[in-house]
Amino acid sequence: MVLPRSEMEFLQPESWAEALAVRAAYPEALPVAGGTDVMVELNFARRRPPALLDLGRVAGLADWGTEDGLLRLGAGVPYRRIVTELAGRAPGLAMAARTIGSAQIRNRGTVGGNLGSASPAGDALPPLLAAGALVELASVRGVRRVPVAGFCTGPKRSMLAPDELIAAVLLPPDAGPEQFAKVGTRNAMVIAVCSFALALRPVSRTVGTGIGSAAPTPVRAAAAEELLVAELPWADRAALPEPLVRRFGELVAAAASPIDDVRGTAAYRRHALGVLAGRAVRRAWAEHRRGGVRG
Amino acid sequence: MSPVLGAALDRVDGRAKVTGAARYSGELNLPNLAHAVLVGARVPSGRIIGIDCRQASVADGVLTVLTHLDLPRVAARPKLFPSLFGLTAHGQSFFPMQDDVVHYAGQPVAMVVADTVERAEHAATLVQVNYAETPSVTLLDQGRDQTYEPAKIFGGLLPGRNPTRGDPEAGLRDAAVRLDVTYRFAANHQNPIEPSTTTAVWDDLDRLTLHDATQGPTATQLSVAELLGLPPTMVRVVSHYVGGSFGAKALIWAHPTLAALAARRVGRPVRLVLSREQMFHSCGHREEQEQRIGLGADRDGRLGALRHDKTSLTSHYDDWAETSLEAPAVMYAAATYAGGYRLARGNTITPTFTRGPGAATGMFALESAMDELAYEIGVDPLELRLRNHTDVDPSTGNPWSSKGLRECYQRGAELFGWSGRDPRPGARRDGDWLVGTGMASAAYPVAAPMNPQRARARMYADGSAVVEAGISEFGTGALTAMTQVAADGLGLPFDRVRFVGGTTDLPNIAAAVGSAGSGATSSAVHLASTGLRDQLVGQAVADARSPLHNADPAGIVVRDGRMCLRDSPQTGETYVELLRRNHMPDVEALGVWQPTPPDGGGHGMFTFGAQFAEVAVDADLGLVRVRRLVGVFAPGRVLNRRTAHSQLMGGMLWGLGQALLEATRMDPHTGRWANASLADYLVPVNADVPDITIDTIEVPDSVVNPLGVKGVGEIGIVGTSAAIANAVHHATGRRIRHLPITVEDLL
Ligand SMILES: Cc1cc2nc3c(=O)[nH]c(=O)nc-3n(C[C@H](O)[C@H](O)[C@H](O)COP(=O)(O)OP(=O)(O)OC[C@H]3O[C@@H](n4cnc5c(N)ncnc54)[C@H](O)[C@@H]3O)c2cc1C
Repeated sequence: MVLPRSEMEFLQPESWAEALAVRAAYPEALPVAGGTDVMVELNFARRRPPALLDLGRVAGLADWGTEDGLLRLGAGVPYRRIVTELAGRAPGLAMAARTIGSAQIRNRGTVGGNLGSASPAGDALPPLLAAGALVELASVRGVRRVPVAGFCTGPKRSMLAPDELIAAVLLPPDAGPEQFAKVGTRNAMVIAVCSFALALRPVSRTVGTGIGSAAPTPVRAAAAEELLVAELPWADRAALPEPLVRRFGELVAAAASPIDDVRGTAAYRRHALGVLAGRAVRRAWAEHRRGGVRG
Repeated sequence: MSPVLGAALDRVDGRAKVTGAARYSGELNLPNLAHAVLVGARVPSGRIIGIDCRQASVADGVLTVLTHLDLPRVAARPKLFPSLFGLTAHGQSFFPMQDDVVHYAGQPVAMVVADTVERAEHAATLVQVNYAETPSVTLLDQGRDQTYEPAKIFGGLLPGRNPTRGDPEAGLRDAAVRLDVTYRFAANHQNPIEPSTTTAVWDDLDRLTLHDATQGPTATQLSVAELLGLPPTMVRVVSHYVGGSFGAKALIWAHPTLAALAARRVGRPVRLVLSREQMFHSCGHREEQEQRIGLGADRDGRLGALRHDKTSLTSHYDDWAETSLEAPAVMYAAATYAGGYRLARGNTITPTFTRGPGAATGMFALESAMDELAYEIGVDPLELRLRNHTDVDPSTGNPWSSKGLRECYQRGAELFGWSGRDPRPGARRDGDWLVGTGMASAAYPVAAPMNPQRARARMYADGSAVVEAGISEFGTGALTAMTQVAADGLGLPFDRVRFVGGTTDLPNIAAAVGSAGSGATSSAVHLASTGLRDQLVGQAVADARSPLHNADPAGIVVRDGRMCLRDSPQTGETYVELLRRNHMPDVEALGVWQPTPPDGGGHGMFTFGAQFAEVAVDADLGLVRVRRLVGVFAPGRVLNRRTAHSQLMGGMLWGLGQALLEATRMDPHTGRWANASLADYLVPVNADVPDITIDTIEVPDSVVNPLGVKGVGEIGIVGTSAAIANAVHHATGRRIRHLPITVEDLL
């Protein structure tokens, strides 16, 4: 059979250096990790790249470990392993990973792919925002680390340059109490109506937040973070004052800029974010008061 | 009856299905196969003023592009008729690409045939169609001021208005307690996981073979033959495995005929697969509708009047309404009754059967209203049902063929722990969740075909048997259950019998629709098997060399392939001995069942059940999560407890979907469905499945069919959504009168 002209090339580097070289030589080749976003786009003919750059064989891309005192998560680690291996070190991300797709999707899908897609509904992004994670981008030109907060520049748009690949995300090594919650119409296989992630860092007395599906990109709720930093009873681990919880919820809701769509109205999203935020801070604070092993 | 009947045996095709050995219609790879892709109308109403196929025609691999300008005219205008009756069974009285008129969005306006499916799909995007669009009606609200009462619905088989009993207006006027409530329902789509697929092959003698995903191979055969102007002898349909249907493949739509026309045009076998999106435009759906219920009761809740009116959207050329009034009309002993259908014409394909057609919506309305009445008068909802229980069919006064509903209520209440329920709404909290319970009755008509149902049994000299009937297996477990019926009838071990279906070469069986498939097929299989057994017993009795010579046939039983005297089992011989001695390689018998008439020969024929639900509603987010479902049903005889359990559970999960998730949303600006994909049309997933308890009450029924099989295919959905909505009310105090219930309803 004569291959149709529209046949795609399939590039399969085995090493990271080779991957970066291929990426630089063929910037029009679409990287593919788990393929759980890419294959959907190809199936619906939303994209017709001339070539695919398969990262599945690149040695080391699916490893995690510590580096420079940070937790380094290779871009190719699938969600399933984040759930089973990293629930202690990256609790918020592991909670989010548990809500993604189905078992099949969690076997294939990666954080690198979630970042690559840069969807406002990407569930891995709010916990990365809350944790203050860095994204490591690499090219033959070199390596740069950018805060995840600035990585997404718009719906499905990011800072990724045409010759760059996402190498890893870097998270603070000793996570404090973290929470992630997502509102969906059903219990699995669902795009978030909205989601919220919270990270408390009692040692440094800082707070991180991340809001998903309620703005053109995942966003932080800076004013809400400042409120908790200033007013959480850090010193004596006292019970959480209800007015603080309420105010926090209001500030989180105010930080979103949701729209009406088939999954929910803007008003519902704002309301739900306030509820999720209140619950998250109650749970995280309760965990802090209980144990504090993770200080 | 032997223990094989009803046993929870594994599916005979289970291994083939999980290993991929089972071949579905779209998986057949024929040499030289070409692929057809349909182009659907982008507008819901108007005319095609220009259609430019030049680019598509010259695209790589394209063999032909057909439009209304060059598609052959069909030989007859199709007429909508339910497939249960064994005749032609067109889904709608319209065949596309015969002229330039657009009746609904997605209506096929062109068909591209190419050598690969990808090239056909690509070329389909290159067909340029220009429309002169005219104003459309795609929502019930847009057609509301133009409704009419149809003379007949349902292919002309049912009146547009049910027979009135007594004077319901007076009954309502004089009632101590009155309720007048309206319930609304979003459109629903069936969404089987396998899309509709046909592969058409013409042979050298101009005979057509269609490999079609269908609930009724004969229905496809007769319907396509009629449109092509061929005698049925020239059309053969093969349909072994079908990946679910839920009503989408119950009637015959345009695509099998289009595939046949495409194959004839290109002189190659052609496969046509509807895309997921096209599945939302091509095989009907459950129509958007609203139902108004008037109840009049005395202070104790005894119903004096029931008024039930439905208004829904239909196509421009068919008076279709799913029959929502039938089950509610006979559910309770209301002294007076009136009920009728009103239709509005719209720019839609004709709606069709969808998962528990009619009863799933009608019983939601009635059972929600009954719950409202229970609260109005302060009576336990289950007690209210018992007070209105009827031992005769209230529409005729005839006895039921069988009922078992009281037993269902009682068993369900025990399994669920209903007694002692605190009736106060909004009074139970579990953390962030408000918890409530609700119940509902279920009823679904026991339908039967009108034409004779046939099956053939053949036994070989080694004592193995094959039993055949032209059914398709669309996931119900029919092949397994029919093997059990055959083994029981023949007196053979289960593993000595093979049941074969899947082609129109086999004895004719009506489409397995309306939960009637197991009743109809088991009747024919039972008669064929017992007929063959009786024939062999008769032969032994007549055979001077048989130990059973001159015995009374009535005193002979057959177990494990051995005929013997009931009273002295040592006297007898095996089928094998009899056949070998007489040099007979095989024996065969045809079983013919003449179905029970629709009026049950003076009986009401319905399947009944009781549904219970516990839900938790997130007080601040409005999310509803179903925690427990209990369903107890009285489906007559159960042929295989495992597959019956799966059918009933699947039905209850449909009900969960109907209650909380499933809605096809029309965008009135474009006249198209706004969420025609499985990412946007949500059905329940495994993580939504609550703790489900299912039980059956096996009521004997000697009226419906020889084995007393009333069917388990759809009764599971009936009442589930009402039980859930009633539980939501109990949890929150909010009465939601439309489906699905959304988060925003509960804030
Ligand atoms: C059924 C289903 C359910 C889903 N459910 C969810 C859900 O619940 N929550 C959710 O957030 N998402 C969900 N998704 C989307 C998807 O699974 C996630 O976005 C996932 O993280 C994508 O990862 P992947 O490895 O499969 O990415 P791919 O599909 O391989 O790639 C996605 C994008 O990232 C780019 N990319 C991938 N890796 C790199 C890299 N190392 N460097 C540069 N670019 C890269 C690709 O070029 C592409 O643009 C679902 C998808 C499906 C099909």
